[in-house]
Amino acid sequence: MSTVAAPPKAIPELGPAPLNRSRKRWTRFILPTYTIAMIVYLASPIFVMILYGFNDVPFDRQTAKFWGFTLDWWKNVFNVPGLYPAFKNSLKIAPIAAAFSTMIGTLFGLALGRYRFRGLQPVDFIIFLAIAVPEIVLGASLLSMFVLVGVSTGYATIILSHIGFSIAFVAVTVRARVQGLDRNLEDAAQDLFASPVSAFFKVTLPLIAPAILAGFLLAFVLSLDDFVITNFVAGPVLTFPLWVYGAQRIGVPPQVNVMGTLLFAAGILAAVASVLAQRRRSRA
Amino acid sequence: MGARRRLVPYYLLAPGALFLLVFFLIPLGLMLFTSLESGGLLSGGFRFSWAFENYTDVLGQYQVQFVRSIVYSIIVTIAALLLAYPMTYWIAFYAGKWKSSLLLLILVPFFVSFVIRTIQWKFILGDHGPILGPLKDIGLLPQGFRVLATPFAVVAGITYNFLPFTALPLYVALERIDKRLVEAAKDLYASRWEAFRKVVWPLSLPGVFAAFLLTFVPATGDYVNATLLGGPGTTMIGNIIQEKFLVELDYPEAAALSVILMIVMLVLATVYARILGTEDVQRVAGAGA
Amino acid sequence: MDDDRSMLDPVAMQRALRYRLTRRNLLRNTGIGVAGFSLASLLAACGSDEGGTTGQSAAPQDVFSGEPRDTLNFANWPAYMDQAKDKDGNVFHPSLRAFQQRTGIEVNYQDVINDNAEFFGKIQPLLAGGDDPGWDVIVITNGRYFTTLTQNGWVYELDPSKRPNFDANAASWAKDPFYDPGNKFGMAWQSGITGIGFNTEQVNGEITKMDDLANPDKVGTSSVGMLEGDMPDWVMINLGIDPVTSGPDAWREAAAWLKMQQESGTVRAYYGNDYLPDLQEGNLNAAMAWSGDVLYSAIWLGLDMQYVFPEGGALLWIDNMLVPAGAQNPVGAAEIMDFYYNPDIATMLTEWILYMSPVPATQELIQKDADKNFDQGYKGYASKLQATAENEFLYPSEEFLGRTTFGFGDWTDESAEEWDAIFLPISQG
Repeated sequence: MSTVAAPPKAIPELGPAPLNRSRKRWTRFILPTYTIAMIVYLASPIFVMILYGFNDVPFDRQTAKFWGFTLDWWKNVFNVPGLYPAFKNSLKIAPIAAAFSTMIGTLFGLALGRYRFRGLQPVDFIIFLAIAVPEIVLGASLLSMFVLVGVSTGYATIILSHIGFSIAFVAVTVRARVQGLDRNLEDAAQDLFASPVSAFFKVTLPLIAPAILAGFLLAFVLSLDDFVITNFVAGPVLTFPLWVYGAQRIGVPPQVNVMGTLLFAAGILAAVASVLAQRRRSRA
Repeated sequence: MGARRRLVPYYLLAPGALFLLVFFLIPLGLMLFTSLESGGLLSGGFRFSWAFENYTDVLGQYQVQFVRSIVYSIIVTIAALLLAYPMTYWIAFYAGKWKSSLLLLILVPFFVSFVIRTIQWKFILGDHGPILGPLKDIGLLPQGFRVLATPFAVVAGITYNFLPFTALPLYVALERIDKRLVEAAKDLYASRWEAFRKVVWPLSLPGVFAAFLLTFVPATGDYVNATLLGGPGTTMIGNIIQEKFLVELDYPEAAALSVILMIVMLVLATVYARILGTEDVQRVAGAGA
Repeated sequence: MDDDRSMLDPVAMQRALRYRLTRRNLLRNTGIGVAGFSLASLLAACGSDEGGTTGQSAAPQDVFSGEPRDTLNFANWPAYMDQAKDKDGNVFHPSLRAFQQRTGIEVNYQDVINDNAEFFGKIQPLLAGGDDPGWDVIVITNGRYFTTLTQNGWVYELDPSKRPNFDANAASWAKDPFYDPGNKFGMAWQSGITGIGFNTEQVNGEITKMDDLANPDKVGTSSVGMLEGDMPDWVMINLGIDPVTSGPDAWREAAAWLKMQQESGTVRAYYGNDYLPDLQEGNLNAAMAWSGDVLYSAIWLGLDMQYVFPEGGALLWIDNMLVPAGAQNPVGAAEIMDFYYNPDIATMLTEWILYMSPVPATQELIQKDADKNFDQGYKGYASKLQATAENEFLYPSEEFLGRTTFGFGDWTDESAEEWDAIFLPISQG
């Protein structure tokens, strides 16, 4: 069959294959429309959240019905008793947990990404477990451990638990970037008589900085939004997701929507900044 | 210099390994320990007693919920794969400079806590909410129709929450595929569908596999969706575990359930890996990966 | 949930999962497993008695003497404290502000208690370890967890000389309740009954008895909410059984009714305390409900809901203020507990939360408040206050109270286990 057909062109000289019309329909219209539709679907609760932050409900709790437009909730964002302290707790815990897990996770990711060592496979496996384990199992285990050892649940246990589950995520993010790096750069630096340590700081670190930043953001968001594990180990302390979960049993005040909108906006800003930083880095 | 060099990775690993040991591995090991205790909080506490009957008790009592959780998760994973694959495929192959932005758009909603997002879904899907209300008013739906408190709502909720876990590994795998291989196939007169089936799909299997695991495993243990969106017949094993821990305060049985859940997960993951046998495919894609 | 699990390397993932148990690493893994296990046992031996009791033997007079501290941590149920907005639109609790003005103590009030068991589970490890649980005043319903707390010495015995307002103003039912003789450990916060609440427009006809909640013609399918915690006792009462003296046979009867109800298809969900938004939104047509919740929705939110006392009887419960052992500010706790037995303060509370106040004098005061508002022309507000003052669920007659019953109270590990074995499978289905 194949001997009669024209010989295939050499790979480096490929031009695009002739596009037939049905392919165009798929790649130009159907799939992109589908993708946009999916993105809208994924964002739909966010739209609802933002919209209902302006809902003029008479009873200070969110309802499905839209009563009218008001800025009251934006003016009095921090007025609901208990909500603001919980929000502050989340904002206190997240940066600390993120900072530590980023530091530890970066080192971990470096090790995983560029060195071959004995025990790589089991460590890989453990990292995978740490990412995939159902949160309820991890949360319950941590609580069991704290109870067994006699540690009072509170801020410390929350922060330690958050660091524990974020490390793997940071490590994986950094590892992915490290694996794509050209070792030659660092070797070149060393050829120019830089010590390994300074080669690391002056060459490697800047190159993996976007991944470290991404890892930090990831750890930050994971900590800020975590519910299941925090629910188990928080003891008397309330974080924002815990407070919201408790509040929705009686009725969620619209201020929750406002706060969610603020967090969302902050998230967009951070993500955009991160992408821009990455663009600038890769151009460098 | 050589000897010191060899130790570098271990130094780098040390802090992380310590943390993971203390706050991940040991707690899981302690679960095993707790699961073999007996006693009660109301009367003095728990004592270790090789209480294997905890396992037989919970296995006997909660088979339905176990099976249900697995069934739901399978549906969730398949649905998520079906929903995410076309999207990630298009972005990876055709989106060009919009790749990162689109990915960002997909991920950005998940910056907001999932508790808030699930609550919003509860409002959106309410019996008299913005979707069902008008449809009922104009008579398209019977008055008693509801979405909430059905298995559909729970499965849909879990699928929604885990879509990023499905989409990202898929995207990473698809993005790595050397597009020239597809072009080569076309030049060999493969149809579009054949090119997909014989080139893209096999090469994306590692991603599919990763997506499956990252979705299926955590979804099985989910309980928040079942709590907020579910009804009497939708209780998942995660709900049972949560209730046993935080409401019944029956730590040993709860721990036994968790251990069983973990073992089931590990077994399923390993079996799936063997069956799919993606090793050969990896070798082919090796250069591009 | 957590978002972006980031750029996961499928190749490495593969490698990780191919980590098989060869004979060599089997030994190593077993070693690690055994080590972890032994470590656990070691920790257990060294760590505090898991769940053990550390009775508080301090005499009440000593615990509650001296000066109070400046801050007080008060944990309560949601919607259980009066609320108002000041001129800047800030939400605050008037009665707590009054307390601060009178005593100088700042109250950190959190409505974190959503479920007796859940809250108990959160503070129990701390109490068992003799640590400060983080709260000076907590509010627990009579029942399993109240009994556990008092029997294990995990709450302080109160000093009877520190509660003049209580002695002067408390209702007879609040004094010397059967589960806390002599008010040794607690003082009632509010009481209430569990009855039936429903959306008038959404049900067919009048809902008057428990069986209506199992009748799809009356309430529709998948539109009834049941209270998981209260339903065993409640069903027993409506079947004519007295829960206080009930045993496993009676429990099985109640469970059978619940199963029948589940099979009729009327039940939408089993709730902890979170049925109210669903009832208000109309996702539920009818529900087992707490008096204050539905009255608040009907009277103050103007929703078309009704609350009825089921023909078979209603469950009566009392939420009690307790001072956990190890609390930082017990003196302040005693002060605030007695503060709420001040008729004026109690009135502020009841006007907002609409539950049964342990201070009968509030009824007259609310009526006076209503009259005052009528005179001032605030007809709407006044009529709501009037409705509050006249409401039989807040100020029940003796006859009314006679038709209510408390729930089962003889809690031990054995009775709890059997109870759970019979009732839990229903909601866990």
